Amino acid sequence: MWLRYLAGSIAALMLARCAGAATRPRYGGILRVELHAPFESSDPPQSGPGMADLSHSFSMTVWEGGRRAVFAADENAAGGRPFLDSIEIQLARPLRDQALDLETGRADLVELGPNEIRRAPAGRKTWSSQPVRIVALVFSPHVEDARIREALALAVDRATIWSVLLQRQGEVSAALLPQWISGYAFVFPAAADLSRARSLAAGARPLTLGVTDPALRTIAERISLNARDAGIPLTIAAPGASADVQLTEARVSSSDAARSFAALCAAFGLSEPSHADTQEGLYAAERALLDEHRIIPLVHLPDVYGVSPRVKGGPGITPLGEWRFGDLWIEAPRP
Amino acid sequence: MTFRTRLLFIFTVAVVASVGLVEWLVSASTRERFERLETQRSDALVAQFRGEYERRGQEVARAVNGIAASDTVVNIAAATDYSSFYTDASSLAAAHSLDLLELVAADGSIISSAEWPARFGYKEDWITRRSDAASADWKTRGAFLRREELPDGVTLALEAVGIATAGDRVIYVAGGERLDRAFLSTLALPTGMRAMLYRNLQPQFTPSELIGGTDAAPLRPLIERVVREKREASGIVGAGAAAETVHALPLTGLDDNLLGVLLVASSRRELVEMEAFLLRLGIIFASAGILLGIVLAWWATARITRPVKRLAESARKVAAGNWSATVEIATKDEIGQLALAFNRMTHELVEQRERLVQSERVAAWRELARRLAHELKNPLFPLQITVENMRRAREQYPEQFDEVFREGASTLLAELANLKQIISRFSDFAKMPAPAMQQVQLNDLALETVKLFAPQLSQANIAVRTELDPHLRPIMADPEQLARVLRNLTLNAIDAMPHGGALTIRTMPHESGVRLEVADTGQGLTPEECERLFTPYYTTKTHGTGLGLAIVQSVVSDHHGRISVVSEPGKGSSFRIDLS
Repeated sequence: MWLRYLAGSIAALMLARCAGAATRPRYGGILRVELHAPFESSDPPQSGPGMADLSHSFSMTVWEGGRRAVFAADENAAGGRPFLDSIEIQLARPLRDQALDLETGRADLVELGPNEIRRAPAGRKTWSSQPVRIVALVFSPHVEDARIREALALAVDRATIWSVLLQRQGEVSAALLPQWISGYAFVFPAAADLSRARSLAAGARPLTLGVTDPALRTIAERISLNARDAGIPLTIAAPGASADVQLTEARVSSSDAARSFAALCAAFGLSEPSHADTQEGLYAAERALLDEHRIIPLVHLPDVYGVSPRVKGGPGITPLGEWRFGDLWIEAPRP
Repeated sequence: MTFRTRLLFIFTVAVVASVGLVEWLVSASTRERFERLETQRSDALVAQFRGEYERRGQEVARAVNGIAASDTVVNIAAATDYSSFYTDASSLAAAHSLDLLELVAADGSIISSAEWPARFGYKEDWITRRSDAASADWKTRGAFLRREELPDGVTLALEAVGIATAGDRVIYVAGGERLDRAFLSTLALPTGMRAMLYRNLQPQFTPSELIGGTDAAPLRPLIERVVREKREASGIVGAGAAAETVHALPLTGLDDNLLGVLLVASSRRELVEMEAFLLRLGIIFASAGILLGIVLAWWATARITRPVKRLAESARKVAAGNWSATVEIATKDEIGQLALAFNRMTHELVEQRERLVQSERVAAWRELARRLAHELKNPLFPLQITVENMRRAREQYPEQFDEVFREGASTLLAELANLKQIISRFSDFAKMPAPAMQQVQLNDLALETVKLFAPQLSQANIAVRTELDPHLRPIMADPEQLARVLRNLTLNAIDAMPHGGALTIRTMPHESGVRLEVADTGQGLTPEECERLFTPYYTTKTHGTGLGLAIVQSVVSDHHGRISVVSEPGKGSSFRIDLS
């Protein structure tokens, strides 16, 4: 009887110690991060979300473009020394492999694509930003026929792309600015209208669709099928070849609508919009831009990361997808 | 061409023709035999290929049915929302080594497509439509050929369809292998055989649709024939050692549309090399045979023509005057009999000639005797009369004897001189001197002769005409003897024209020498007279010894010339002498 009591007391004590270790920050440990972007430049990125955000609390010690990067804790960081000793980042890692590495404990933080999210086991810890990545079709300036551009905008079945290819990740939108920033994105109709697209596309000449990111390849193929259904002969251009339409992606860099709008226009290579101080003015500017059909917004996607259970102190990303790893710590290994 | 050459040519032609015929027959029969073997081999290979093709179809059907029966697909079939499975076909296809795989919902919409992931939601009506008379149902076929649209174009695939069920929910699994270069390379084919596939996916012949071959142009007629007739065909493509026997098999899809033409090419290299080897061997043996035949023909013709040659040689000798020539041939065949007859003939000719010579000699002696008797009788009679007159005068008229004696003595001397002249002429003919050759101008001799006989001709009322070629070249001759020839011929002409006439002397070039012609307008000669004209002691005249023309012929003969006479009774005669 006393033995049962003793055993129960020891177990209670151990549980109390473990709970205390899980909730209390600790110094030390290495955060293992994997990214699918190769970053093959000789220098690390200096701006944008991701590695550039680490400069507040960490300093880079190793940079092997296209392979890996190592950041060490900055003892003199403005906000104090981060808990983590270092961050090791594997570059050019396929999404599928990242998910496997997370499953097998070889990584602590990985990117999750739509398929990986679907396959993720129940209870998987994830960090997700707001929809900050805008996937859109951008016409080359030499495609002057506005009817063809509008026909393609009406032919694209965004809902199917979102529900199947993106596994309902993010949100369908025909607006450039995400709903959470502008508040009026829902006003732009996103539904496909194939019959009107067919009537507009009558006599359309063959077009080519360029896609630089292999992750968007399937979306491009689907758009090609949609276009063909509408009578627009749209074929996917060979990599590196110039194309009439480009399927591309840009990020929202600010939660300020006007700044984001201007930055997105610049990122998509569109003409600089007129300055608008009010929401009505911004809506009018975006409406004017989208009515030209030079750009066809498709979906707004969030940044989604799979996180190992041993990473504590999160979420480590902001609504804009910026990394904030200064407050993260790694759970101490169990004895 | 000699008899032997002709015979050799005939033998050679016969040998070459025979050897060529035998060679052709052997080559043709061998080629036909090898062609038959090659056809059997090709048929066996094509059957083997068909078996391999069917086996691959069964493998595809087995793989597809395996996928349909897998837990993964059954779970998909049980799901109510298919949107999360749109990438599953790719992993299933990779796991079962299939190029193409589609999971199709019961309503025909694509749940997941390995070959074209973006095509989810699109309909595959051919799977769900009901079979009718015009279209074969995939359920009755294991694997079948199908035209598949892909993002980068169109392809042909060997496909099968399986059904996965989960309770009352059904999904279809359509999968297969692309019929491409990789597919062809995995087929187990015997050495010397290759498979090609023409994908009949365009309305007209498109060379780029040929898979597994480098040059479609030579195959085009065969492919177009199969496409047109929709049945198997075969043909030989290429030439020489690169030639191939190509069997073209039509490949039809579910709707019996001709989707492809499978070309099974079997190399004819071995056959061609065998034929070339046989040809070389044939040429070597034929050449050896022809060479041997020619040698044997040479030997045989030599053997056959040798007695004929001897016969010809002997005949040439006989023609040259050697009548005693004979042929020594021991055989008893036709040539031997011919030689025997030849020998008998020459023997008889010799005997006949001897008899002729003997008879001619007798005749000549007789003629000589007759002529001598005739010539001698004329002077002898006055001699006898004179002697008798002298004896009668001495006995009966002694007082007149001296005068009679004187007259008688002169008569006797005159007649004796006449006798002496006769004997001298005969003596001259007997001892004709050899000609003393020197350069002689025949025209000069002719003119001298005319001049010599001018009074006599004038007296005989004979007109003289000379037709002498001023450009006549000098000849080598004895001028004395030729002058005598001219004199004799002129005297003969004078004798032939007792009532006058015309004498023509002509000279002219003739062949490589000159011709002298002495023509009269006398009474002419009969053919018989012409034949005997040059016989010694023969004369048509009442006087003369008959030696004149014999001497002429003798001189001409000594000068290696030729004399002939052209005459017709009543129209005169013409003597022609050809000298070189």
